[in-house]
Amino acid sequence: MDNTLTLLLQGFVQVMQPVNLLFLTVGIVLGLLVAVLPGLTLVMGVVLALPFTYSMEVIPAIILLTAMYVSGTYAGAWTSILFRVPGEPIDVPLLWDGYPMARKGEAAQALGWTLIAAFFGGMVAATTMVLLAQPVAKIALTFSSPEYFAIIFFGLASVVSLGGGKLANALISLFAGILLATVGVDDTYGAHRFTFGVPILADGIDYLVVMVGAYGLGEVFMRMEQGFKSPQLEKVGDIRTRLPRMKEALAMKATFIRGGLAGIFIGIVPGAGATVASFLSYGIEGQYGKNRHKMGTGIPEGIVAPQTAATASVGGALIPLVTMGIPGSGATAIILGAFLLHGLQPGPQVFQTSSHIIYALFASVFVGIIVMCLIGYFATKFMIKVLDLPEVIVSAYVVMCCLLGAFAARNNLTDVWLMVIFGIVGYLFERFRFPITPMVLGVILGPLAETNFMTTMISFSNDWTVFFTRPVASAIMCVAIITLIWPLFRYLRQQGKK
Amino acid sequence: MAPYILVGVAGAFLFYTATQFEFYRRTGVLGPDFWPKLILVLLVIVCVYEIARIALAQSPDDGTAGILENIAQGVDTAPAPEFSPPQNQPLRLISGMAATLAYVALVATTGFFLTTAVYIAAFLLIGGYRKTKIIVAMSVGGALLLMFIFMKLVYVSLPIGSGLFGQLTILLMKLMGIR
Repeated sequence: MDNTLTLLLQGFVQVMQPVNLLFLTVGIVLGLLVAVLPGLTLVMGVVLALPFTYSMEVIPAIILLTAMYVSGTYAGAWTSILFRVPGEPIDVPLLWDGYPMARKGEAAQALGWTLIAAFFGGMVAATTMVLLAQPVAKIALTFSSPEYFAIIFFGLASVVSLGGGKLANALISLFAGILLATVGVDDTYGAHRFTFGVPILADGIDYLVVMVGAYGLGEVFMRMEQGFKSPQLEKVGDIRTRLPRMKEALAMKATFIRGGLAGIFIGIVPGAGATVASFLSYGIEGQYGKNRHKMGTGIPEGIVAPQTAATASVGGALIPLVTMGIPGSGATAIILGAFLLHGLQPGPQVFQTSSHIIYALFASVFVGIIVMCLIGYFATKFMIKVLDLPEVIVSAYVVMCCLLGAFAARNNLTDVWLMVIFGIVGYLFERFRFPITPMVLGVILGPLAETNFMTTMISFSNDWTVFFTRPVASAIMCVAIITLIWPLFRYLRQQGKK
Repeated sequence: MAPYILVGVAGAFLFYTATQFEFYRRTGVLGPDFWPKLILVLLVIVCVYEIARIALAQSPDDGTAGILENIAQGVDTAPAPEFSPPQNQPLRLISGMAATLAYVALVATTGFFLTTAVYIAAFLLIGGYRKTKIIVAMSVGGALLLMFIFMKLVYVSLPIGSGLFGQLTILLMKLMGIR
């Protein structure tokens, strides 16, 4: 424990260095702007920021991207509450109660509850992250390939089951992603897989190219087809934030705790992210909250539950990333990309080899939340001015960042071609209502899943029952299978009722 | 149903391709074709299931939904969006895609600055933006700014182009102090 505190203090010292603090503030502001703009999602924002970190040192690069990730879960609440325009899917549950509150003349209170919820969720999750990271890393050191495969399988199952849209479409998207990850020369046998004689495909398809294309360019194409028509914003009066009194906040402690726990848990589950946390927490509050019958009518619980969970999911999602090297969400996948670009492989060993970087990352989450709340309290009015920018101009620069991001990774125009192709694929996915996230997670987790599956098969003489005979692997596999089967079971039950 | 048929057929084709992978087979050890084949079998099963379900079901949109969908549907009081959904404009989309593909095809020859400036201007025009002064400022200024950031600060060697275009880029680089 003393060691953890010492390392965390050293992390704070790193973060407080002027350059790092500058990048942290820039990251927070960019994350807030990205969250406010309806055409940009937080994952897209982190993706677009990545190429700017290529020439940076590893600590400021990680701090910048993490700061964007943290603040990206917060600012969309402003536009949801004030204008009923969710900056991104995370913020949809926030408008169900936030907007009615604003219509009742309680916009300042609603913004205050959002700020407190983001602060509480972020801080609790960051503390949990620091407390759990070392013990989880120690446990992870004892894991073998069957356990790793089980964890990854669980992540892939949850992204399919917890995501929006139809299960079949999510599965197809996931399988497409896993297949994309198999393209190239196989490491063990040297066999060319799905290269079709194209030399560049022998190197495989970089997941960053898929992410930038599908998330960034695909979304721009979608909005271009819709003619870049931003919703008309209502006139709102003086925009300010009124924090709730301590007594009011304490009266809602159960909602804060439920939201925080839901966010941390969902964050830890590989495959689920802030959007799932936000929706799930709203659902939990609607089922178990003291004022559950009033949900959707404009009560603070409807804001606190999703916002606490969304911000808490950040700390949760960083745990599997740093302790096992498994990114649980799109944004953490980009942060993993930044680690790898600087020659650092997250995992249990990183706590021995580069603990100063990991604890700087942890400290940046704490400092980032404070900076985010300060900016949120004082600058909401100015930050939402960004909505006045014509969407077509923002989109033009988003496309440029996508093109440059794909090119800059390997200084290769073929990656840009691939990125544009994945942009078109991303558009087609959106158009035909296939979710993109399972494909992206499939590309990222696919190679890890294959390596651990094949290693297990070689080590245990092709005995697949090993996944169900080793206690840890077996428990995780069972949860994963339940996660996958549950929506199907519920569907069949609903059909039976009909 | 068409997307599922298409994906199913593609899956079957890729499965055939996977049977043609060339590698040294060792008895009792899974080869590099096993994993992709496993995934392709699952993919085809899902497609066949979905095709059959749509063929037999009354409502093709019905189906097993993820948990988020259920929560969203469960909120009876969720207000409907006030603004009407925008009309699709396929011509705009096709022009945008064509401009993007043309950009990638031309950037190596015409260089980053010129291609980017023209592309941003074209993108804004395709997107329906008509303020000429802002288009010029955004395209030329934006291209110069991106060039400065990526070549001077991030050290990415962007395409300079060939012949006259290359000379123009080099001149600009000199003016901006990029080596």
